[in-house]
Amino acid sequence: MLTRIAFRNIFRNRRRSAITLLVIVAGAIGLILFGGYKAHTIRALRESTIRNRLGHIQIYKLGYSKSESQKPLEYAIDNIAEIRRAVEQDKRVTMTAAQITLMGLLSNGEKSETFIATAVEPEKDRLMGSQRLLSGTNLPLDEPDAVLLGRGLAASMHAKPGDYLTIMTTTVGGSLNAVDVRVAGTFTIGVKEFDDRALKIPIKGAQQLLQTSKVEKLLVFLKETDDTAAVHGDLQKLFAEKSWALEMKEWSELAGFYHQVVAFYNGIFGFLGVIVFAIVVFSVANTIMMSIFERTREIGTLMAIGTTRERVWRMFLLEGFVIGMLGGILGVVAGAAVATIINHSNMMLPPPPGYTVGYPLKILMQRNVFVTAALISIVTSTVSAILPALKASRMKIVDALGHI
Amino acid sequence: MEDEAVVRLNSVTKSYRLGSVSVRALTDVSVEVRRGDFVALAGPSGSGKTTLLNLIGCIDKPDSGRVAIGGVDVTDSPLHRLAGLRLNTLGFIFQTFNLVPVLTAYENVEYPLLMKNVPRRERDERVRRWLAKVDIEAQAKQRPDQLSGGQRQRVAIARAMAGDPKLVLADEPTANLDSETAARILDLLVEINRATGCTFVFSTHDTSLIARARRLLRIRDGRIVQHAPAGEVRQEEAFV
Ligand SMILES: Nc1ncnc2c1ncn2[C@@H]1O[C@H](COP(=O)(O)OP(=O)(O)OP(=O)(O)O)[C@@H](O)[C@H]1O
Ligand SMILES: [Mg+2]
Repeated sequence: MLTRIAFRNIFRNRRRSAITLLVIVAGAIGLILFGGYKAHTIRALRESTIRNRLGHIQIYKLGYSKSESQKPLEYAIDNIAEIRRAVEQDKRVTMTAAQITLMGLLSNGEKSETFIATAVEPEKDRLMGSQRLLSGTNLPLDEPDAVLLGRGLAASMHAKPGDYLTIMTTTVGGSLNAVDVRVAGTFTIGVKEFDDRALKIPIKGAQQLLQTSKVEKLLVFLKETDDTAAVHGDLQKLFAEKSWALEMKEWSELAGFYHQVVAFYNGIFGFLGVIVFAIVVFSVANTIMMSIFERTREIGTLMAIGTTRERVWRMFLLEGFVIGMLGGILGVVAGAAVATIINHSNMMLPPPPGYTVGYPLKILMQRNVFVTAALISIVTSTVSAILPALKASRMKIVDALGHI
Repeated sequence: MEDEAVVRLNSVTKSYRLGSVSVRALTDVSVEVRRGDFVALAGPSGSGKTTLLNLIGCIDKPDSGRVAIGGVDVTDSPLHRLAGLRLNTLGFIFQTFNLVPVLTAYENVEYPLLMKNVPRRERDERVRRWLAKVDIEAQAKQRPDQLSGGQRQRVAIARAMAGDPKLVLADEPTANLDSETAARILDLLVEINRATGCTFVFSTHDTSLIARARRLLRIRDGRIVQHAPAGEVRQEEAFV
């Protein structure tokens, strides 16, 4: 009966309830859109970070991450083929890629620039799609002395595909070594600071340059990112079994930028949540207070004829809850509709700070985003009703009855 | 031996504070209402009728004196603890009807039964019985704003009676009705009193209604000035 009374009073004052509902719905839409946008951005960043750059798990020689050695490849993996075969047995693994990072000087005969090179297996690098080719071709499969230059580095060297440059670095033995390389193409990964120094070279070429047959790390790629921890655990067991002195890191330990972005978006989402919370509290509390004011004599009557304080309190709390429910449901439906429209409209966003290319605005329709929005509506609305409801239940009966 | 007094007020005093001044509403009032009685509480405006009914109805507290309802001294219980007593023992009829606007006539009558957790079938039976008694069956599904004043008060009477109270308090139940409707409402109350033996106390300043009561309590300036069977009062009316 109290539910019925609460429900009907909401529908009795249509205009006021409609305005309150509108506020809640607008808040819910805001949360859903931003939450969905956030989820999409974070997921996209996560997947691109993993698939283009880090892999899900990286395998190194034991001691690698603790070492502060200046010598290149002091901690390096030698039995790479064997490890690879064992790791790729796992059905969840799609691919492994060996890499070496090296630094050195790049020269065109007139000037030199420092570079940070990633030595890759060309066929694996193509599958990773780490970069966007700007000119020329990808790294050829069988030409160890071909390189790709980052956009800024190429510009600084005045180099174009087909040109020859010299790269110099320290070998694993500690002596200097130089080799002439052909520029196969230029690329960007979208971050200027990186493009200014980036160079890619086939791992065979790098090994010749460094005078080694070892590799620095082995990247492991999985079908599902969610399997990372499980595969990590299984690999640990495998390495122990085989007595391989290796260590591993998961992508999340390596993705500093990703975590910054996540924290940033969560901060904004939290801030937005607080604003929505405040607006909904104000709006619902106001509505309930007006409702109580208008129904003072009714409340007095109900208490006179034997309704307990608790029931009066519950009745108005219920009113807040029902408003929140309706608002939450309508908000979720409206939010889904707006998100669908946005996803079909192919809107483009300007490039984020530090990036040179924009990306499409997409709202990820994640269940927990909708659940969060609905829960915030319901909880907030109910919470806002607590104080007014308490006030109603504490009214003096004779005063309430005398109220016109 | 069972206490025959449904209401027992013992030298009750009540005053209201209006800013810094204190207004005496009741002074040393002692009243006893016996089971099955039909009492008119008469007096001019401002004499203290509503105040007295509020004290009997356990929705207000006296400054001094004692109040016992149905043999239970309630003077020291806080009002919100008396919700159960009001629900189970008392019935209220208001001058302004005070039905819940969003509920139908049926639901208004059903309300106190739901608060009392009366099982569904019995509830339905009781609501229908009382709606029939007050002749509102045809309007059972209508809301208060679709009913006339007389009809609303009938619903209010059914609501007060459906809970099977010992004592019904009615503060000027007919003041908002025309004289013909008022007379019929009072007829209805008299008839219910006769049929159920339920005790009634109603206040009025309408002399034509006083004569219908079995007993008369006359109040003036917060004091009971007459306590008599109503029949003896009729000829004195001219002198009030
Ligand atoms: N809430 C209040 N605050 C201050 N004074 C009050 C209050 N209620 C009643 N009074 C005063 O108490 C006295 C008795 O009032 P009460 O309402 O009991 O009289 P009444 O007989 O019911 O009058 P009426 O016939 O006009 O309803 C009056 O002097 C009135 O002004
Ligand atoms: Mg009065």
